Formats: sequence, C-alpha cells, structure tokens
Amino acid sequence: MNSITTTRKAIQSGETTAKEVTENCFNLISQEPFNAFHEMWNDEKQAYLEGPLSGITVGVKDNIVTKVGTTTCGSKMLDGYRSPFNATVIDRLIASGATLVGKTNCDEFAMGSSTEHCAWGAVQNPWSTDRVPGGSSGGSAAAVAAGLCHVALGSDTGGSIRQPAALCGIVGYKPTYGLVSRYGLVAFASSLDQIGVFSRCVRDAAITTEVIAGFDPNDATSVEEEAPCLVESLDDSIAGIKIGVTRDFLTDRNDPEVNQAIEDAIKVYEQLGATIVDVSLPLTDVGVSTYYVIAPAEASSNLARYDGIRYGHRTDKVGLDLFDLYSHSRAEGFGDEVKRRILLGTYVLSSGYYDAYYNNALKVRRLISEEYASAFEQCDVILGPTTPTPAFKIGAKSNPISMYLCDVYTANTNIAGICGISIPCGFAKNDGKPLPIGMHLQGPAFSDAKLLQIAHAFEQATDFHNQHPEPIS
Amino acid sequence: MDANEKNDLLTKEVVRHVAKLSRLALTDNEIERAKEDLASIFSHIDKLKEIDTSGVEPLDHPTELLNRDRDDEVGVTLSQQQVLDNAPAVRDVYIDVPKVLGETS
Repeated sequence: MNSITTTRKAIQSGETTAKEVTENCFNLISQEPFNAFHEMWNDEKQAYLEGPLSGITVGVKDNIVTKVGTTTCGSKMLDGYRSPFNATVIDRLIASGATLVGKTNCDEFAMGSSTEHCAWGAVQNPWSTDRVPGGSSGGSAAAVAAGLCHVALGSDTGGSIRQPAALCGIVGYKPTYGLVSRYGLVAFASSLDQIGVFSRCVRDAAITTEVIAGFDPNDATSVEEEAPCLVESLDDSIAGIKIGVTRDFLTDRNDPEVNQAIEDAIKVYEQLGATIVDVSLPLTDVGVSTYYVIAPAEASSNLARYDGIRYGHRTDKVGLDLFDLYSHSRAEGFGDEVKRRILLGTYVLSSGYYDAYYNNALKVRRLISEEYASAFEQCDVILGPTTPTPAFKIGAKSNPISMYLCDVYTANTNIAGICGISIPCGFAKNDGKPLPIGMHLQGPAFSDAKLLQIAHAFEQATDFHNQHPEPIS
Repeated sequence: MDANEKNDLLTKEVVRHVAKLSRLALTDNEIERAKEDLASIFSHIDKLKEIDTSGVEPLDHPTELLNRDRDDEVGVTLSQQQVLDNAPAVRDVYIDVPKVLGETS
C-alpha cells in the first residue's frame, strides 16, 4: 500500500485511477484472514469525487456512524443497526473524495485493549496471527498494518488508537480533545473519547486529520477554531526542540526490548539536534485507576440509552413489564466486559460512593492535568513507550486488571485532554517473528502540529515504518 | 478504606442492587462472578485514596468549556419513518412497548 502522497501523484499523472486503486483494496479486503473488517462496501456506482483524498481508501471503526452499511459497535446490542445520519468526520471524508471501504471490528463499545471482546470474533495481528492487534480499534490497526486500506479511523478513550497502532507497527494519532468532532461517534466516555487516524506514516495521519478536524456546531465540545495546519510544518527542523523523558515510563514493568527501543529512540532525537530533558510524572502509576473510575462512570450513563425500546436489541421474552424488558434486553445485548464496566460505573456513581470514588477521581484528574502542565513548562513533548510489551497472545489476559494495565502509558493523555501519537520505533524478537514496538509522544493541548512534526522527524531518520507484515496475496 | 475492607463491603446483595440500578438482569452465577471481578478492580482503584486531594477542585472535563447555546432555528430533523426503521417493534406509526401504567409487578 502506497502513501496518500504517492497514490495521489500516481492518480494525477494518469499512471493509475482512483477506481483501480480502490478496487485493488476491495480485492485485498475480500480475502483478508484477520477479521479486521466487519463489512466491506464495494459500491459499483461510486462517483470518485475530486478532492484531496480522491482515490484514498479509508476504513471506519464500527463505532462511528455511517448511513451506508451498519454501525454495530462490535455488539449484539446494535446488530444490524443502520444509522440515519453520518458522523461529521464521515461527511468531511466523503466531501474530500475519499472512498470509505467498510467497517472495522472493535472491542464492544470500544471497551478493551485487545479486540477480543467483539461480538463478531477476535481480530488477529497481521504480524503474528496468534496474537492480538491491541484495542479497542484493533480492526482499523490490523487493516492499515496489512495494507488493506490507506488509512483508518479509530477512537481513543484511554489508548484505543495508540495502543493498537504500537502493537501493529503503524502510526496512531489521538488529536487534542476538541480538535475533531465527536458528532456521530457512539459515546463511551464523552470527556475522554476522541476520533483519530491510523496510517503507515505521519504525513498520512496529518493529511487525513486536516480533512476531519475543525469546529462542528453539532459537537458542543469541539473548539471554535479553524482546522489546524498540520502538514505544512512537518519537514521543519527539530533542532533545539526539547524532548522530555521520564524514568516513570522506563520501569521494569516494561519488556527489556521495549526499554531498549526507547533508549535508542532518544539517541536518534539527540542526533537530530533535540535537547533531552528529564521530567517527572509520578502520577503515571494512578492513571489507570483514575481512568477506571471516570470512564465506566461516564459509560454507565451513556449506555443507559440502550433500553430495547427505540433501537437496538429487544428481548424475545414475552409478558415482561417495562423494568424487566429493559433488564433482559440489556443483559442479552451486552457482552461481559461492557456489563462489568456498567456495574463498575453505576457503583462509583451511586449514593454513598460518589464522593469516595467518582469525585475523588475527578480531583486526581486535575492533579494529573497539572502535572503535565508543569512538565510541559520544560519541554515540547514527552517521549516514552506506548505500551509495556509488544502484542500478547490471544487469550493471554483473562484477568480484567491485567488487560486494563495495557493502558498505563496512554490513559493519562485522555484524562488531561492533550494530544498523543504512537509511531513505530523497533521490533522485539518472538520465535523468529518480529513484533513491533511503539514510541509514544505526548504534547500539550493544541500543540498537534508540533507533535506531528517531531514524530515525522524521527520517522524520516529511521526505517521502522517501512517494515510491514507479509502481504496477504 | 483498604482492599480487604472493600471486599467485605462488596457483598452479593450490593452487586445485585447495582445490577438493578444498571437495568441488567444477571443470574446468580453472574452476580457472584461480578462480585469477584469488582473486588479485584477496586483493590486496584483504591490506590487513589493514598493521594492527597485536599483542597483540589474536581476536573470533570478537559476543556472546562461552559455551555454552548445554538441559535433557536428550525433545522433538519429525522423523519418519522427514519426513526421507526430502527425500532425493534412497531405498530402503525408507533413504537410498540409493554404496558407502562396499571398492574406492574
């Protein structure tokens, strides 16, 4: 799969056509063995609008609503659900000429770090099919890693774009909260959710995000500013840029190969003229705990809408009163992880526990946000690993806590509402098969252009992003 | 409150009550399993209680934006048919639901 820039040049020079490019993608998707896609939309009558993304193929996570096809959130609750409207990001992609190729599988309602908790089956990592692609946007990550489409949309609530990007060896970018409209993203935890892009290079993430970003009156939390210029400054020198490194990220909870890859990445930045500064983020350790109070609390409220009345699954049981109709429809429609989080969230919001759990977590949230603010007084971005380990085996994390700890380095980005990106920075050896390692860069809110510039500089100086799993045909 | 204390408070009765508040019809086995899962999750979450948060204002939203009002103008809405298309049970032009008033349990 070529980059957006290369593909656009080939189309503009007449070397190929948008139709040929997209048909090639559909051909690959129709035979992909990873369960990355839930649906493929090969529209024979596709118009191929002229625009910056004409001929560019985009996979869409199954929790972003589209008028074409279904939107199921990987849940039996929404099996066959057809949205009567498009998410704002979808309308903007269509207007830019992009071809939406289909819906990618995800953990149910975006709750998970492995894409095993999907009603339509687990997704496999294209680098090693007995391993997970990460989650919750695992289908989007696997699709881009396997070269099935140019880019894919994901959503990131605590790491759900960056963590699977790391595990699949691609770029995963979570923009600053408020930069990209959430209108039409099925809500999980509204103060944390953010739509973002998977791609094979930083430039493709920047190009696609320029298309989808910008104020949207339909999202009351989108910022009232012009869409940012992200591409223009990508090639600027990073000499003199300050990169924060913290020992709080390079602990023995990480695989040694992960720590080594990050140490090597730091040296690359030094060679590029960046200054490395030590910063301290001691609250890293309580990020996951804070997250697992706030996110389930918001989820228990957001998912109350699935009542079996207006849309979604309704139980077949007869003779139930309204209370039991709700309770049985929800018990049948939701999977185990979603139920667990609804229970957890309802508990921390319930009378007698609200202050001890929910309100206290919101106070810690402010401390985390302030801790970042003081770190960013000393540096432009903070560098560390995206995940403690490379991709793990399917079925390996049966205990909820061990799964939740996959987000130890990513959850705080959402808690503070800042921007973050994972880019490939190395490989671990696994029975002869390489497994990708991701580097995580975080920047202050609305410093997205600089974040991408710094990520791009590393990419240009290294070759990790050019390595791909074996092609499927 | 330490983890052990928490485990004692998180009884099956409490989980059953939370399941009721959550409108989730869970079996006895599911309640038992949820109790164990929640206990292990809370023993982790309880780390938060070691942090001094005295005098800290809660932060419920990263942007701390205030409410944003839209202009009071008529816009495009979904048609009746679009709404009914996704309803699991429809009678005439209505969404069919069980009797709400009257003899409920």
